[in-house]
Amino acid sequence: MDKYQKIEKLGEGTYGIVYKAQNRETHEVVALKRIRLDNEEEGVPCTAIREISLLKELKHPNIVGLFDVLHTEKKLTLVFEFMDSDLKKFIDGYGGDLDPLTVKHLMYQLLCGIAYCHRNRVLHRDLKPQNLLINKRGDLKLGDFGLARAFGIPVRSYSHEVVTLWYRAPDVLMGSRQYDTSIDIWSIGCIFAEMSTGLPFLAGTSIEMQILQIFRILGTPIDPLAPKAQPPPSLDSPHIAGNHRLFEVDKAAYAQRLWPSCSQLPEWKTNFPAFRPIPLEPLLPKLSASGIDLLKRLLTYEPQKRISAEEALLHPYFEELRVLNSTNNLPIS
Amino acid sequence: MTRLSLRNPLLTPEQISESPSQRQGMLLELETYLRAYGCHLIDAVGIILRVPQVVMASAQIMFQRFYYLAAFQDFSLRGTVLGTLFLACKVEENPQTIRNIINSLDIVISRDRGYPEVVTDGYDAEFYDLKNEMVISEMQILRKLGFNVQVELPYGLLVNYLRSLELTEHPSVPQLAWNYLNDLLRTPVYVCFQPETIACGAIYLAAHESQVRLPESPPWWVIFDANGEDVVQVAKAIQAMYLHDLPRIMPLDGAELVLHLSGTLSEHQRHPGSWIKGFDI
Repeated sequence: MDKYQKIEKLGEGTYGIVYKAQNRETHEVVALKRIRLDNEEEGVPCTAIREISLLKELKHPNIVGLFDVLHTEKKLTLVFEFMDSDLKKFIDGYGGDLDPLTVKHLMYQLLCGIAYCHRNRVLHRDLKPQNLLINKRGDLKLGDFGLARAFGIPVRSYSHEVVTLWYRAPDVLMGSRQYDTSIDIWSIGCIFAEMSTGLPFLAGTSIEMQILQIFRILGTPIDPLAPKAQPPPSLDSPHIAGNHRLFEVDKAAYAQRLWPSCSQLPEWKTNFPAFRPIPLEPLLPKLSASGIDLLKRLLTYEPQKRISAEEALLHPYFEELRVLNSTNNLPIS
Repeated sequence: MTRLSLRNPLLTPEQISESPSQRQGMLLELETYLRAYGCHLIDAVGIILRVPQVVMASAQIMFQRFYYLAAFQDFSLRGTVLGTLFLACKVEENPQTIRNIINSLDIVISRDRGYPEVVTDGYDAEFYDLKNEMVISEMQILRKLGFNVQVELPYGLLVNYLRSLELTEHPSVPQLAWNYLNDLLRTPVYVCFQPETIACGAIYLAAHESQVRLPESPPWWVIFDANGEDVVQVAKAIQAMYLHDLPRIMPLDGAELVLHLSGTLSEHQRHPGSWIKGFDI
């Protein structure tokens, strides 16, 4: 432990205190995460095992580096690459007003990091602005791989602080246990919207409220396979009555709400209020049309249809970065 | 971009040729039995705990890895069984209490040794000793394995391979191959070969036993990224595994190991409850 000189306390993580420290020999600045091992009933915390075993294998410019693990009698210390800030503080630091190009740069890096995780069959499962670390050079790195405690996605963390639901995919909220890489993609969609407006996009206070909050904006999902499913809009329906423009609007809204088998999810309620989707453009005035399109693909209800990180990186929204990159010869991430 | 990173770490030829236990004078035969017995305990405890098979499989592979980095003489088999199970339950998100794991192991060992079924009260000194051993063992395993506790299993691959070979509906090949994968967990095969090769080896032998001919030119395993020599080696390891029956009384720690080597373990084991503290009766 004498290898590092503590500089200051940075905060409390899921399972211990985080310090800023300096390597006495190399003078490299690092972050130390201390994990106490005195919980007799638990042994080494699950979150620590998961975080260490995954992070020591995941090496990528957009994933926080784990340099070392030190073990002493009663504690375990993880030595991380030092990062100045996190996305939450970063957004707040700009008063919630990030310029669109910065948002694009950050989104690109976020997607690169998660695409790398997914290629390696690792789900992050707890993506949120507080877990995305940022340094002074504007590099974004995924941090906190400590999730996966107890039963999949925890509802409460160690300190009994409620884990935020705002970035949780609707399939998980409604009790699906068959989740895959698509749950991280949903979180990225929520983070994208938050970067664009400076405010959390879907901020519910309980699981039920969170579900309703999602429905209120994106529309209540329709299960076309359910026995009494709402039929697709037709030109003959009374309120459309031959109006092609209305018909197109309704068709798009209907398509957005389609989610085959959603009524089979454990927490699906037949009496969910039937919200129609509201247009996203007025909610996200700073986001370009291609940005809105990407956001819709990230926040697609049906998990299998949700865009993958690899596909998202090729989306036209990032064209600007490719152009900038080829003219300035600057690395995009 | 780095290569797929979370692959199973395999042994180097030097590690395979002489394990830490052998370096301390243990014969390969005894080591093979100890490995098999430890994995049998993990499997049996997992069944009592009703945890998914992936938990047992992960624990068994960690157990195998561990004893290529440490010797049975230095780290008790019992502690490692408890530690790997404890860890695998956490890694695979099926946490179990220390008490449940210890009590289940107690049941299995008592059964193997023919002790009368005694319900332990779980608050005696023996329990606390075991709990201590388990928590220490967990940390030892993490240190020796360098926190490399993610395990990649071949079961999913097997299903896919059978499907592409159009063997899914065959009356014996799928079941045989699946059984081989389970039984192989008691051998070091999982720390010597990657899951693709193991799945192919199981299919190879299952097809052979069921007299099913598979494409030969090019050999069918080529598309599954396996190498023919390795596949045959896995198949041979499966056959070799079934040559001997597993003894039900094996030394659980250093003290019992000494008794076992002097040929007196089976006399000592007749005292119920005595397995826990290593025979200071």
